Amino acid sequence: MKILLLGLGNSILKDDSVGLKVVRELGEKVTEENVHVEEASFANIDILEAIGPYDRLIIVDSIKTKEGKPGELYPLSLEDLQSTLHLSCPHDINLATALELGKRLGMHVPREIRIYAIEIEDNQTFSETCSPSVERAIPRIVKEIAERECFVFGRKSLGCREEAPNTKHPMTNKFQ
Amino acid sequence: MASGKAVDAVYKTDPPRAAKKLRELFYSAHYVHSHTLHFYALAAPDFVLGPDAKPAERNILGLINKVGLEIGKEVIKNRAYSQDIQRTIAGRATHLVWSLPGGVSKGITEEERKRILEMAKVNLEFAKFGLKLFDDVVLKNQAYVDLILSDAYQTVTNYMGLVDRNNKVNFYDGMVRVVDTEAKEIAKFKPADYLQHIKEHVEPWSYLKFPFLKKIGWKGFVEGPKSGVYRAAPLARLNVADGMATPLAQEAYEKYFDTLGGKPVHSTLAMHWARLVELLYAAERQLELVQDIEITDPKVRIIPNKIPDEGVGVVEAPRGTLYHHYKTDEKGMVTKVNLIVGTTNNNAPICMSIRKAAQGLIKAGTIVTEGLLNRIEMAFRAYDPCLSCATHSLPGQMPLQVVIKGPQGEILRTITRG
Repeated sequence: MKILLLGLGNSILKDDSVGLKVVRELGEKVTEENVHVEEASFANIDILEAIGPYDRLIIVDSIKTKEGKPGELYPLSLEDLQSTLHLSCPHDINLATALELGKRLGMHVPREIRIYAIEIEDNQTFSETCSPSVERAIPRIVKEIAERECFVFGRKSLGCREEAPNTKHPMTNKFQ
Repeated sequence: MASGKAVDAVYKTDPPRAAKKLRELFYSAHYVHSHTLHFYALAAPDFVLGPDAKPAERNILGLINKVGLEIGKEVIKNRAYSQDIQRTIAGRATHLVWSLPGGVSKGITEEERKRILEMAKVNLEFAKFGLKLFDDVVLKNQAYVDLILSDAYQTVTNYMGLVDRNNKVNFYDGMVRVVDTEAKEIAKFKPADYLQHIKEHVEPWSYLKFPFLKKIGWKGFVEGPKSGVYRAAPLARLNVADGMATPLAQEAYEKYFDTLGGKPVHSTLAMHWARLVELLYAAERQLELVQDIEITDPKVRIIPNKIPDEGVGVVEAPRGTLYHHYKTDEKGMVTKVNLIVGTTNNNAPICMSIRKAAQGLIKAGTIVTEGLLNRIEMAFRAYDPCLSCATHSLPGQMPLQVVIKGPQGEILRTITRG
């Protein structure tokens, strides 16, 4: 199975970069050759070009919810984001729309799409460093994603959590 | 691209002709990419499905349901081609590290040129199709023409854009031309002189500044000849220019002004049509440049030998005139930066267009429906504004609040999204 691990964010907007940092660290540790790591600042129509050869797409991005605790990890599925099936940006389309478009046009879209959203504190300040609460959480998040995805670090398997992304996660309702 | 030109100016170098042509070729592909997306994903659903269609249908998915999967495939293919062209030329389509003081880091081979040529031919055919679709769906429907020309979507301002030596639209280089509310030239200046012509107003409620014409001054968020407010981007570029530099785009330009009653066009919704005229120009220019005998010339950089200090670079970004102004120390380390980016030029006009649409469409007793709110949002969307894209945190909804007030200013309803 070919896997694309895609970190999303803006590297100079403080906590917005957390998705990039997490996949970077995963990329350094994961040894399986079928896992390809990419960093991007978009999740729009252009994603259709990037995901063509992959069977599983794993996206790591930041999220802001009303009562969330910075550093909290939310495993989501695409269905959780269906409520945002409209413009996320006034001059582009969002991830869910792009993937749906790909499917309807008969393009190859990965069979499995998993999204890991990391609760953040500040994505409005120019900084290449995350808030301490988010920065501290990165090693734990890296480990948890690796366990959930059954990644191998070097020769060491971290063991697999058998749970699929939780479509009924309590945070789902926070942005619907 | 503006940054690359500003750095040339900082180092007082003039890149070789091949480097300038490569930059313009790259930039033409960028325009094809950007304008294609805006029209098919964001503008066309309002017209093909109608402004009152349900939001769940009024998007690119609804569009392909209505006009056919083939068009959707063409959109994806043509965007992919323009991305490929940019990558082939500059290594990356976005965030490229290719422009250097005095030129570019690499040229293209004959083999690469031939590949680009084939893709550019396809882009041109699709650009022509865009105008045909607009003609069939919008211009042949009198209700849409009336909507475009309706008072609610008119914003009477001055206009700004880059023009070449013949006063034709140019995205990469030239002089900045400004015309008044009747399309008469009131300024034409070198990019380096921009501070003599533009000032920026500040409001306490916005991080974004509000540029205005210095000679007229800031008179508030007001329309008309006495206002210093100007607009940039496609509508403005066509208003400031005397024409387009390529034959098919020139024909399209003439039809645009003939249909809309001559110059200037103040209708915000006409921006979509202007964007398609520009898309055709970009596709034609791309094809011209890739067939230029100098485009594969390996001499693509002059090594700068002067002490850097200060420079300004200006291009037409898809969303408006883009100014980069750098000051450096003698080692080239940046000490001061000033940017006026595309959407910033339109900050005041965007506010004014939304207000005018709201005032024109909501009268005493009007029931504010989702479709009506969309018609107001259309005044905003036409500018293709680059506002909420700086962060990409989930859930990815564009933050928007609509407050509906009664005649006495009392709040009747607040609708919040994001």
